[in-house]
Amino acid sequence: MNNEKHALKVAVVAVLTAVVVVFTLVVRIPTTKGYLNLCDVAICFIAFTFGPISAFIAAGLGTAIADLVSGYAQWAPISFVVHGVEGLLIALIVSKKPLTIIRTFFAAIVCILTVSLGYFALSALFISTPAVAAAEIPPNMIQAGVGVVFGLALSKAVKRAYPPVSALSW
Amino acid sequence: MTVNTFLANTGWLYRFDPRAKILLLILLLGWFFLPVTLTGLGVLLLLILFASLSNPGPRFVLATFRSILPMILFMILFAPFNVRSGQPLVTIRFFVLLTEEGALQALKLALRFISITYLATLLFATTPMHQILLALQWYRLPYNAALVITLAFTYIPFIADGFAQIDESHRLRQAGEKTEGKRTGKLKSLVPTLTSSLVLALRSIPTLALSLELRGYGRANKRTHYHSLDSYRSTFTDFLISVMIPLISFLIFKA
Repeated sequence: MNNEKHALKVAVVAVLTAVVVVFTLVVRIPTTKGYLNLCDVAICFIAFTFGPISAFIAAGLGTAIADLVSGYAQWAPISFVVHGVEGLLIALIVSKKPLTIIRTFFAAIVCILTVSLGYFALSALFISTPAVAAAEIPPNMIQAGVGVVFGLALSKAVKRAYPPVSALSW
Repeated sequence: MTVNTFLANTGWLYRFDPRAKILLLILLLGWFFLPVTLTGLGVLLLLILFASLSNPGPRFVLATFRSILPMILFMILFAPFNVRSGQPLVTIRFFVLLTEEGALQALKLALRFISITYLATLLFATTPMHQILLALQWYRLPYNAALVITLAFTYIPFIADGFAQIDESHRLRQAGEKTEGKRTGKLKSLVPTLTSSLVLALRSIPTLALSLELRGYGRANKRTHYHSLDSYRSTFTDFLISVMIPLISFLIFKA
């Protein structure tokens, strides 16, 4: 029984990691300054639907793999930390039931701040300069904001379309 | 969807032990943040470029450079204006636009950024993914973590193909209908596609869990390991080289 549970946990995290990679690499919406990817949508969906541990591992690992395979390997450790923490924090906030509007709003604020400030701090420290890193704050805020709204919508839609998903969270 | 970053070739870096390669990568990443001279950064970048040209080849060098070019331009354009001290180079009336120290700082940051990018991408271009995982396991990466990464790589093309098919069929259903707005309309029309893709992906979880159990996952008698890194004959020499390169470079180029 214990092994069964263990196998299910590994399967859940592996498939969710692949989902994050696909949302990051395949689904891209053109903007004036480049592309808006949906990695935050996937991360927020996982955080709203599955538990904090699944969200942390799948979000961190998925975005790091996406960076590695798309040729931006230097960003992989930063993405792992920032998006991993993003998934963990949102899942921790929304894990208490019932999910109120205030708590959802708080989760959205935490998500936007974690992504924008996390990328700013770590890229200014390890990769570029504060000025260059600051220029990335607005697009990161938009991407994270879109992520929360669509992540929540997707979570509700998927729970309705595929009810057994509730049994997969841990 | 291509998720393999390995570029098949026969250069000397391909014969270098992956465990030593990972150690060299970590040590050199640390090296770039030590107080070293600009000449040192330049020399090391030339060495990395030489390794890139003689192993994956010029195409790899060009493709990697093209991917980071916007970031480098942004860095070179804006970084010098943050540093106000030093000998003025460009002045407009009484306002100092660019100083010598600012220009040097921008050059240093650009050299470091290019070097780190080539170092990281070079590891994945010259080492197959399963060997990187075996090397990480040698560094005590938990078996479960390696299994999750391997399974994720297996499922990426499956989920990507599923998404493409669902997206195509949704688009065919909407043919002739007017799409509302611009970006918001596009995003809204994505929700049914994303929902269907997620359901398709999530439905594969119980099957995957069952197949893991059937293959004996979690049993006391572990599955035989088919792959190993034993084919690398000069592991000690490779490790020695991996430690000596950053050490000698630091002793020569320390500021």
